[in-house]
Order: sequence, then structure tokens, then C-alpha cells
Amino acid sequence: MSPRVVGHSLPRMDAPGKVTGTAVYASDFALPGMLHGKLLRSREPHARLVRIDAARARALPGVRAVLTAADVPDVRYGGALKDETVLARDRVRYVGQPVAAVAATTREAAEAALAAIEVVYEPLPAVLDLEAALAPGAPLIHEAWATYAAIPILHREGNVCHRARIVVGDVERGFAEADRIFEHRFRTAMVHQGYTEPRAAVASWDSSGQVTVWSNTQLPFEIQNTLAEILELAPSKIRVIVPGIGGGFGGKLRIGVEHVAALLARRTGRPVRVLTTSEEELTAAYPRQGTRVELRTGVTRAGRITAKEGRIWFDTGAFAGSGPGVASVATLVLAGPYKIPNLLLEGYAVYTNKTNCGSFRAPSGPQANFAVESQMDMIADALGLDPLEFRLQNIVREGDEGPTGQVLAGVGLEECLRRAAAAIGWDDRRPAPGRGKGLACGWWTTTGGSSGVYVKINPDGTVALNTGAAEIGTAALTGAAQVLAEELGVDLADISVVSADTFATPFDFGAQGSRTAFAVGNACRAAVADLRRQLVGLAAAQLGVPADALELRDKAVVGAGTRVTLAELARLSQASGGGLIAHGTFIAPPTAYDAKRVEAHVYPAFHSPSFHAHAVDLSVDRETGEITLHRYVVAQDVGFAVNPAAIEGQIEGGVAQGLGQALSEELVYAEGRVLNPNLTDYKMPTALDLPRIESILVQHPSAVGPYGAKGVGEPPNIEPPAAVANAVAAAVGVRVTTLPITAEKVALALSGEGA
Amino acid sequence: MSFEYHEPAAVAEAVALGARFGEAGRFLAGGTDLIIQMRRGKVAPRHVLSLHRVPGLDRIEANGAITLGALVTHRAVERCADFQGPLGALVEGARVVGGHQIRNVATVGGNVVNASPAADVVPVLLTLDATVTCLGPDGERTLPLEGFLTGPGQTARRPGELLTAIRFERLPPASATAFLKAGRRRAMEISVVCVAARLTLDPARERCLAARITLGAVAPTTMRARAAERALEGRPLTDDVLREAGRLAAGECRPISDVRASARYRRLLVETLVPRALRRCRERIGGGA
Amino acid sequence: MSRLALSLRINGETHEVLTAPHRTLLDVLRDDLGLTGTKENCLEAECGVCTVLLDGRAVNACILLAAQCAGREVVTIEGLARGAELHPLQRAFVEHGAVQCGYCIPGMLLAAKAYLDEDGAPTEDGIREALAGNLCRCTGYQKIADAVLAAAAALRGSRAGGGGCTHP
Repeated sequence: MSPRVVGHSLPRMDAPGKVTGTAVYASDFALPGMLHGKLLRSREPHARLVRIDAARARALPGVRAVLTAADVPDVRYGGALKDETVLARDRVRYVGQPVAAVAATTREAAEAALAAIEVVYEPLPAVLDLEAALAPGAPLIHEAWATYAAIPILHREGNVCHRARIVVGDVERGFAEADRIFEHRFRTAMVHQGYTEPRAAVASWDSSGQVTVWSNTQLPFEIQNTLAEILELAPSKIRVIVPGIGGGFGGKLRIGVEHVAALLARRTGRPVRVLTTSEEELTAAYPRQGTRVELRTGVTRAGRITAKEGRIWFDTGAFAGSGPGVASVATLVLAGPYKIPNLLLEGYAVYTNKTNCGSFRAPSGPQANFAVESQMDMIADALGLDPLEFRLQNIVREGDEGPTGQVLAGVGLEECLRRAAAAIGWDDRRPAPGRGKGLACGWWTTTGGSSGVYVKINPDGTVALNTGAAEIGTAALTGAAQVLAEELGVDLADISVVSADTFATPFDFGAQGSRTAFAVGNACRAAVADLRRQLVGLAAAQLGVPADALELRDKAVVGAGTRVTLAELARLSQASGGGLIAHGTFIAPPTAYDAKRVEAHVYPAFHSPSFHAHAVDLSVDRETGEITLHRYVVAQDVGFAVNPAAIEGQIEGGVAQGLGQALSEELVYAEGRVLNPNLTDYKMPTALDLPRIESILVQHPSAVGPYGAKGVGEPPNIEPPAAVANAVAAAVGVRVTTLPITAEKVALALSGEGA
Repeated sequence: MSFEYHEPAAVAEAVALGARFGEAGRFLAGGTDLIIQMRRGKVAPRHVLSLHRVPGLDRIEANGAITLGALVTHRAVERCADFQGPLGALVEGARVVGGHQIRNVATVGGNVVNASPAADVVPVLLTLDATVTCLGPDGERTLPLEGFLTGPGQTARRPGELLTAIRFERLPPASATAFLKAGRRRAMEISVVCVAARLTLDPARERCLAARITLGAVAPTTMRARAAERALEGRPLTDDVLREAGRLAAGECRPISDVRASARYRRLLVETLVPRALRRCRERIGGGA
Repeated sequence: MSRLALSLRINGETHEVLTAPHRTLLDVLRDDLGLTGTKENCLEAECGVCTVLLDGRAVNACILLAAQCAGREVVTIEGLARGAELHPLQRAFVEHGAVQCGYCIPGMLLAAKAYLDEDGAPTEDGIREALAGNLCRCTGYQKIADAVLAAAAALRGSRAGGGGCTHP
């Protein structure tokens, strides 16, 4: 097959608006008479909220409303676990937790109102890290956790808000079979998604008691539901629209400021916009959890892995956020894409008095993979084996089982490893003093969930794609439109997209988990199947020709010596049949797995899994510890490359973001406060910090994805930390087991002082 | 932020306004420090005196001595033809401040008055024994830059006084400067440690006649590493001598541990970067006349 | 609080604005003039999404008082194209896949323009250095650098050829 549209690096559809500054993002959206909303946030990591007095604030000029917990419904919301409130009621649990909300005519007036609100805190003992949270007798961050609504599968106790487990075979027997057993510990830091557009929402109520919220959320339908809970309204009374998003990376999955805007708008009777500041983002958003990982792995001296026992603890902060799901997914990352007959893997989500954490591009991926892939190299080193050969000996291949018993198909991992290694020049791993190469590999999922689309053919023959999915920057909607164009026999330029409006667009599970092009693309295929029937039927009736003699070709229906264009058929249908429109839906079939192998697991299998290998060539300055990246190669099994340039863009950006987490990014806490809540000291890579990234697109098709495509957006974030750690070890013999791998840690280790 | 805004059109007018408002006023040059500090609530002047219409303060004069007008931007320093060669540390220091957007507006005068202990161009100016000239209602005074910097964010500038110029002498023959910076990323970075060095060799280019070593981000102000300097004077620049200078400088500095780096690492960086800066000076001096 | 009457030249047009002294160029562009192509994020000159050209030089609008810009030429992203005709930089960004979420792109384009206007022999290293004040979280900067190089070649071609459009 030589596809006309899919498989081509076509420019993305929304680029013209973005390069001219005409594309509207949620933070650009404004309504006449709009007020500015701001949040007053806790200054204590853990305290009783003794008193809030807003009288002075309410009296300030320009202030139209001040809300405290007493003014909002007493509702707990959340994901798997509903433990969050809009405003703190009688207790604050992290520095930055909202305690009051104000709406005023200007930003300055709102800030003045915040300063005028008097709050009395009575500090409580704060639980500042994982060790403190897990210690016997530790203060409970949520004493009433048993009363919170939660999905039934959650396993909770004390400050652990979830524990998921994978058990395969018998690890003790596996360790007994091993010639050597290796134990290592790792730690990773809390890191922020770093989207360049702050979270934003504008809310406006109409006279019938319905509210519309314009927001840069990745999940408009999820926000609609959460708002319904918080506002105590039916979801149908709530409309969420996404004008445009300046990056999300998972940080805009959970409700951000939409509820605050809606509540302030309801109170004031005016539209209200709430926008987070950089400081709020770095202290009170939904960053990636910091972790502690312990791995114990048994191997034969020839290098076959016989058993692995692993635990990962996620410091998920004061509220569960995405913790439970992430703790579950982590167990699959801890297993790695390896054939290991005996496994005991656990993921814990633990409460502390820090900002509640959420989802960030491949949640649990970089943390768990850093541990697994670092240890793989340490084991190879100890056994005198080449790290590439050690991996090749143990990786899964076509038809093998995954850790929870799923049968793996479309397994491109060997090809990825071999091609990445070849590209980096693996046979010369230490080309110069202080210079070394490192490898890391992994696997990831294409998240499920359903998607619906409407596809309409316009009277001029162009096509309208109406989808509930938001475009977060990945070009997923361009990819879905390419699938649509391919199926319908039109050009990408013939398609326009309307998206992400809970009232006007069909349901979509949301732009998360690398699922959008996959699911929306397949929903388009379903819609085209229906459209094809409609088109052919209409043409048959019109032309007096049997339907089975007709086919769709070159923007027309042709056959039996006749031809009628899509445009004509659309006009015909509009005149007499209500117009040509089809509804397409898609949900991936569930992935079969062995339920006996998992306990309390929210995510027991990776769907249409992708496989990837990264390789890096770097030098280390032995005196300063500074790391210079020479080359970075990614080989990623994408199933089928719907738009190769767009996928390269995802890889290049994902690796950049991963390298930031590997080398320079961390939210530093002391006494429950973030010490670097600004972009001066939260160090994301600039254009000068990154090498060129070489992408090798490997294609072992998924049986489910459109044209065999798999999810591509998240994986590039996963392997950079381990690849860098392994290369640094090769370069200078220093093994850094905590993230980020800073020059300081390397230099101090080299100077013998330890890190 | 709430203030009255003034736009003097000449130096005399700026000085008069400065005198009138004293502590309640602040001069605004590029704004890359002041506006951010105002937004963070660290400083709240009731009067902002913007200097962008004041003529004559943005020139680099290089006749004999070199004079930088206070409003000379980092961009202008970076691109000044006179500073390629022995004075190259000025370019090296200016070039690593922020990114282009910052350097296009941020001024050397503003940078000196802001007196961050981590400033980049300031160490270079100190190695050049620069002086600063301030203009107040009582007239003009010139003082050594070193004495002008009195603490983190503090200078000897009197309230309302306008810094007008920074001046230093040309280098003697067989001299060169160098500047090195360490940070967690390669741009948009406040120095974890920075080092500026100036070397003058004897005519045979074998021994050090004079040395200046200045350290940034390792003390309450930019500081000279005088013990390291003394250890170089009159000595040939062998690896051992350079290493000793590095050790002495590391011993003299007084770094703190903060979110950017530990004190230990900062000392290690000083010990490493001082010899490197000195070597670069020597390379710049070269072998010829 | 007093208000200042400012005459601002934005994209070749004069705008008369009455505003409090503390308001930045970014505030005035976005809130008063409805020119939301220039973006807001850190408000501390760290991220570059607010980059505009001031007398041809790239600056952060978030820390410039509007008052400081009176009588000077400001160019925002809305002023880069000529009507419907995209600037070669804009075209190159579209063609080379340099745009993902797009939020950094207006600032990135203007910083790139300032660089190409100044530097007759752009290189990848020079481009990265010129764009170091513009954070991008989506692209890793690679296709952006490729696009700027391609635009530089296109601009050289159109200047050398003498025909086609010229852009300031």
C-alpha cells in the first residue's frame, strides 16, 4: 500500500494560526466585564485553620467577592480517591493549598484583597518526606481517609493512599536459583511539567443557571464531571470549552482553576478569569512525584535474570492526585520489557505535607526506568557483560508474555536496541578519556478509553472533523485528520477540525496516555465506514445504479461509468436529507492478562505497547563534573508512523524534557517549602543545553491502532535519566543513583567526597 | 507595584529628581533587576526615574583609559571591538548574562548598582581595578569599585545619587584577562561560581608580574582572592603554582550552601576555575610582543 | 494614582493609551490593545514567551514599562506577516514542524527575526545562542533551529535574487 496522506510528514493543520499569533489559548480568552480571580494560599505545611477573616478584604475598592470554605459546597473530589476540597476547611496540608479566593476588577485589586485577608494557623507536626510518612506512629495526613470515596480496588493504610502489586512465580525460589543477587536504591526528585502557558480558566454563568468554562484542560469531559460534583449540578448544566492549550504534559489533566473561576463567577454574577502564576505552578500544581526505589535482582553468572523484587514509593503530597494510578503503572515499568519468571513488584503512593502530585508524561516512567536500567548496567558491569548483550539476552520478543501475562505482539524492542546501539557507535563505548556512551530501554502503553467523532461533508466537498479531544501540541489531531483523509480519499487540506467542547463535540476520554491520534484516528475510520455507506447509497439512488457497483475514489463516488462528487452528494443531502454526517466511535478491546498476578492494580496491562531504546554519548569534566552531551539517539517502535516529522518532534521534545529531569530539574523542598519556586532556579534546558537528537522510527504494527500506529507522545520522557546515568558511569566510573544527575554530584563523587 | 513615573531628559534633571526623592526614588535603566524586584515585593519605590531619555550615558569611550557610560548595555560590551583580545573577559562576562533579551536592555551601571554577589561583569571590572563615578546634588565623586560594593545588594551609592560611569585603565603590555562561569545550565543562568582573572607577565613572558583574581558567588560581595594573587607574583606559571593559586583562592572564599549549590562544591569550583582562567590569560598573552 | 498618556507605535500603527505608570508593555498589548499574540507566563524575563522587538531588538515585554516604550517602534507577532503573506520565518516554522503547542512560538519567531536581521551568517550554534532566552518545552529546539536556518537561506535567496518580497 502506498498511502497518500498517512505516513507523510505533512505540516500540522494549526500551525498557521500559531505562527501568526492568531491562535487563541485559554489564557488569551476574555469576556467583557470580566473580573480577575486569585487564590490565597496556605503558608503552613500542616496546620489547623483556626480563623479566616475576610471582612477587610471584602471592603477594598474593586473587590467583588471573597470566598472561603464556608462559602463553597462541602465536597471532596479527586481521581481514584476523592480527598481534595476547593478551599481548605479547617486544616491545611501543604504550603500553597488554597484557603480563600477573591474576584476583583483588576489584578492589583485582587492581590490587595489577598493581602488583606487575615488567617490564623495553628501549626501541626508536618510530615515532610517519605520516611517520616511511613514511620510507625507517623501523624496521619488524612485521619478520616476511610470515609473518603474511592474506587473499590484501592489498598490504603496509614499515610499510604494506595499500594499495587504484581506477583509472578516465587521470587525466593528465583533468588535461590541465582548465582548473584544485586540490591540497589535510587531516589528521584519532584519535577514540574514546565508548560509555558499557566493554567487558566474563564467562567461565565447564564440566566438559566448553566456555566460555561473556557480552560486549557487536557480533559474537558473529566473537568465537566468534576465541576458537576463541586458545584452540585448536573453535568449537562456545565459546558467546558478548550480554546487552545500552551502545553500540558499531564499537568493539565486534573482540575486546576476551573472550579475557582466557576464559584467566583457564580457569586459575583460576572465572568471571572483565574490564571496561575509561575510561583503557583512551582508550588501548588500537579508535578511528577519524587520517589524512592529499591530493587533486588537475581541473575545467573551467564546473565539470565531469574528473579526481581522491587518497590517504589511515590511521594504524592497532601492529596492523592494521580498517585494510585501511577503507583500501579510503576509496577509494569519496574518489571521492564524483560522475561523474568519470578517477580514481586510493589508501588506505593504515600501522603506527605507537600504539594499534591499528578501525572507527567509517562507517569512513573522516568523514575522506575531510571532504577531498572541503571541496575541493568550495574549488573552487566559486575558480571563482565556488555550491557547491550545483557539486555538482548533478557528482553521480550514477539509472542512473549508481559509481567502480568499479557501476550506481547508488535514487539520491536530488539530492533530498537540494535539500531540505537549501532547509531551511537556502541563498539567504541569509551572513545576518549572522560567520555562514555550509555544505553537504556523500556516499554510503555497506549492508554485506552473511548473516543467519538462526528464527520460531516460540506457542500463544497470539504470535510469537518468534530472531536471531543483537545489538541495539546502533539499534532495528534492532525494525525487523526490524516487518517480521516486517507480513509475518505480526500486531502488533509480539505479537512477542518472543531474540538473540545463538552456541549457540541462527542465524548473523548481526553488527551492523555498517548492515546489521542490512536483513538480519534480509529473513531474517524468508523465514521468513514458509515459515511461510505451513506455516500454510496445516496449515489446509487441518484444515479439509478446498484450500490455494489460503486466505490469511493478521488473525492467522488464512481462506478458503472458514472461519477458524482462528494460535494454534489453533500449538496443533495442537505437539500433533501439533512446533510451528510456520520458518528464514529472507538474503544480499544481490553488487553487480556492474568488477574491472579496482580493485587489492587489500577492498570494491569500495557495496551498496544511501544518499545524504545535510547543511547547517549557524553563527556564529563572530571574537575567540575559538568556533563557535555555529544549525541543522543532514540529508536522508538511507533507501530506505524502516521506523520514522521510530527513524531520526530515528539521524540526531540520528549528527550529534551527528559534530559532536563535527568540533569538539572528538581523542586527543592526544605521544611515543607519549595526553595526554588521560579524559573530562575527551576532549571529547564535552554536551546544551548541540548544536543541534536536523532530519531529512528521503528515500525512493528499494533493490531489495533490506525494503520498499526501506537501511542508515541510519552515514551521519549522515560529513558533519558538512565541513559545519562549509564553513560556517566562509562565515562568516569561514577554511578549516580539520585536524580537529577548534577555536575555537583559527579564532581564531589570524583573528588572522593561522595554525593 | 504603584508609583509615580518620571522621565528626566538630561543628567542634571535626573540628578535633581534623585536628590528630591532620595530613598523614595529609584533610577530605572533596563529594569531587568528593578522591575522584577518590585514585582516580587522586595522593593517598593514611590518614584521611578526612568533614564532611557538621558543622553550621553550609553557610550563606550576608549581613548587612553576606557570609560563605560552607566547605560551601556551588556550587548554593547559584548560586541565592542576594543574588548576583543586582552580585554576579552569583558566580552566573556557580558555574553553569559541572561539571554539576548536581557542583554539588549540590561546595563552595566544597573548591574553594578544591583550589587549581586553573583554578578558576572562585576568581577571582570574588579580585576581591571575599575572605578565608578557617581553624581549627586553636591557634585561628582569617583571611588574604587571594590569599595563601592559593600554587601549583598548594597553599595556606597547615596540615596538619589546617579551612577554615571565606570572607568578602568588599559592593560599594560603582556597582559590579558579571562572570565569563566559555572552553572547548572548554559544560558539564563545566575552563576554558581564565576572567576575573573587578569595576568601581567614579565617581558620574557616567563614570570607573573601582577595578577588579579576575582571570585563571584562565593562571598557576600564579589571578592578579590588576594592570597592567591600574592602567591603568583614573581613566580613562573607552572602547573604547581597555578594549582596552589586555586587552592588558596578556594581557602579564601566564603561560600554558602543554597538551592543552587553547596559550599563544598563552590570551593571545588573555585579551586578548578582559577587555574583555568589563569591559563587562558597566559594563552591570550601568547608568546610574541 | 496618576495616569500617563502614552503614544505607542505598535506594528507601524500609533495607539494612544492612558494607563497607570506601573503597567508593562505586555499588560498594555494584551489587555488594552487586544494583541494577545504576545504571551504571558513567568513575568520575570526568564521564559521569553513575551518577546517583542523594540527598535529592532528582542526584549521581554513583561519587564518593560509601557511608558519606557513611548516613541519607540514595537513589533509584535501580529506585525510579522504582511497581510496574508507569511514572513519566511513563519513559513519555515510551518514547513519544518517547528511548532507544537505553539505558545513559545510568537516570542521565538521575533527573537529569531532579530537574530537574522543582525547576523549575516547564521549558524545552528548562533541560532541556539540567540534563542537561549526563549524556553520551549515541546520541541527540544531542533526543528526550530532547522527552520531558522532554512528561513535564513530563503531570505538570502530573495535578497540576492532581487525579486520577490523583502522583509524588514
